[in-house]
Amino acid sequence: MQAKQQYNFEVVKWFAYMACVYLVAGTGMGVFIASQLAWPDLNFDNPYISFGRLRPLHTNTVIFAFGGSTLMATAFYVVQRTSGVRLWSDKLAWFTFWGWNLIILGAIITLPLGLTQSKEYAELEWPLDILIAVVWIAYMFNFIMTLSIRKVSHIYVANWFFLAMMIMITYLHVVNSLSIPVSMWKSYSIFSGVQDAMIQWWWGHNAVGFFLTAGFLGIMYYFVPKQANRPVYSYRLSVIHFWALVFGYVWLGAHHLQYTALPDWTGSLGAAISLAMIIPSWGGALNGMFTLSGAWDKLRTDYILRFLIVSLAFYAMSTFEGPVMASKTVNALSHYTDWTIGHVHSGALGWVAMVSVGALYHMVERMWGTTMYSVKLVNLHFWMATIGTAIYITAMWVSGIMQGLMWRAYDEYGNLAYTFVESVAQMHPYYAMRAIGGLIFFLGAVIMLFNVTVTIRRAIAKPSAEMATAANI
Amino acid sequence: MSDFLSYFKTNWSAMTVSDWVGTILTVVIFLLMFGMYFWVLRPKNKEKLESHRDLPLRDDDINSEKNDG
Repeated sequence: MQAKQQYNFEVVKWFAYMACVYLVAGTGMGVFIASQLAWPDLNFDNPYISFGRLRPLHTNTVIFAFGGSTLMATAFYVVQRTSGVRLWSDKLAWFTFWGWNLIILGAIITLPLGLTQSKEYAELEWPLDILIAVVWIAYMFNFIMTLSIRKVSHIYVANWFFLAMMIMITYLHVVNSLSIPVSMWKSYSIFSGVQDAMIQWWWGHNAVGFFLTAGFLGIMYYFVPKQANRPVYSYRLSVIHFWALVFGYVWLGAHHLQYTALPDWTGSLGAAISLAMIIPSWGGALNGMFTLSGAWDKLRTDYILRFLIVSLAFYAMSTFEGPVMASKTVNALSHYTDWTIGHVHSGALGWVAMVSVGALYHMVERMWGTTMYSVKLVNLHFWMATIGTAIYITAMWVSGIMQGLMWRAYDEYGNLAYTFVESVAQMHPYYAMRAIGGLIFFLGAVIMLFNVTVTIRRAIAKPSAEMATAANI
Repeated sequence: MSDFLSYFKTNWSAMTVSDWVGTILTVVIFLLMFGMYFWVLRPKNKEKLESHRDLPLRDDDINSEKNDG
C-alpha cells in the first residue's frame, strides 16, 4: 500500500491554475470597460454589458477570483512547507476550492443582471455573502488546524500575515454585509446614512489593507527568500512590519470620506494614521528588497525574481502615494478624480498582480517539478506587465490631476471656469491611453496562461514518455 | 480657548460605556504595540529572532512537490 503523500499540493495546483485563468478574465474585462469609458458606443445600449454592471464584475474577478485564488494557493502551499505537515483536512481544502469557484460563478451571473448591494468591493447579494463567510471560515479553520499540528516549533512570519488576513476579513466581511433580505436577491444594509458610509469604508480600505496587502505580504515573505535562495534581510523588521501594519490599517477607512458628513476628526485621524503607515510599509518593502543584498546579479537572469522585486518597488510607491492622497490638502484635489483609479492600479497591477505572478511561476516550477516552457515568454510577460502598468498609471495621474484642477478653477467673477462635460471631453486621450496600457498588461497575462498551460502539459506528459521509454528497454 | 486647544476638548460626562471600552482597549493595544517594539529591538533578543530568518530555506526536500499531489 502506498504511503500517504507528505503534502497536499493537488488543491494548490488547481487554485494556482485557476488564478492564471482569472487573471486573464479579470484584466480582459478591465480592458473592455476601460474601452467603454473611452468609446461609450461599446455599451451597445445593452444593460447586461453596460459599464455600471461590468465594472463590479471586473473588480470582483480581479480581487476575489484572481487575488483570492492566489491567496488560497499560496497560503495552503506556504503553511505546509513551513510547518512540515500536510494540510489538516483535504476535504475542507477541496470544499474551499469548489465553494470559492461557486461564489465566482454566482458573481458572473448576478452582477450583469444588476443584482447588487451597491457597496464597493462588497456588491454581492446576501445568499452569496453567506456562502463567502462559510467558505472563508473553512479556509481559515483548515489553515489554523494545519498550524496547530505543525512539526516546526516557530510559526514563520508569512503565516502571521496570512492568518491576520483571514481573521480580519472574516470580521470585516460579516459586519459590512449585515443586511435585511427582502427577497431572494434583494437586501438592505442594517446601517444607514453616515454610519453606513463609515462601515463601508472601514471594510473598503481594510479589503485593501488585509486582503490585498497583508495576504500578499505573506506571499512576499516566503517567495522572495525562496526564489532568491537567501534568508529574509531582517526577521526583526518583519515582526515590526507585521504588528505596525495590523495595528495601523484598521484606522484608515475614514480617509475615503474627507469633506463629507462624517465628523471632521475622523477624517483627520484617518489621514494621520495613513501618513504614519508609510514607515512600516517602507520598512517591509526595503526588507524584501534587501533580501537580495550581495546577490543583485540574480536579477539579470532570474525573471521570476524580477516580478517579485519590481512588485516591492510598486508597493513602496503606492504606500507613499496613498497617505499623501489621504491628507486633506491633497485629497481636496484628488478625490473623485482618476488619480484615485491610477493609485489603485499602481497597487493592484504593480504590487498585487506582480507579486502573485512571481509566486505562481515559482510554484508551477516547483509543484510540477519542471522549468517554465519558455523563459523568454516569462521575460516578455515581465516587460509587458511593467510597461502596461506604467502607461496605465501615468495616464490616470495626468487625467486625474487635470480633472481636479478643472473642477476647482474659477473665472474672475467667481463662476466655475469649466462645465463638467468639458472636463469629460478633456479626458478622452487619457482614457484611450489607459485602455492601451491595460491591453498590454492583459496580453502579458494571456502569455502567462499559455506558458503555464504548456509547461504543465509537458510536465504531465514527461513521466508517461519516460515510462514508455523504460518499457521499451 | 484657542481653536487649536478646542480640538482636544472632550465632554467627559457624555462618554458612554462603549466609548470608554473603546478608548481603554485602544490605549492598551497601543501600549502593547510599543512594548512589542521594545522587545523586538532589544539587542538581547536579536539572535533568537533572527534565527528564524532562513526557515523557508530549510524545507527543501527537493522531491516533495514532485511526489505530492
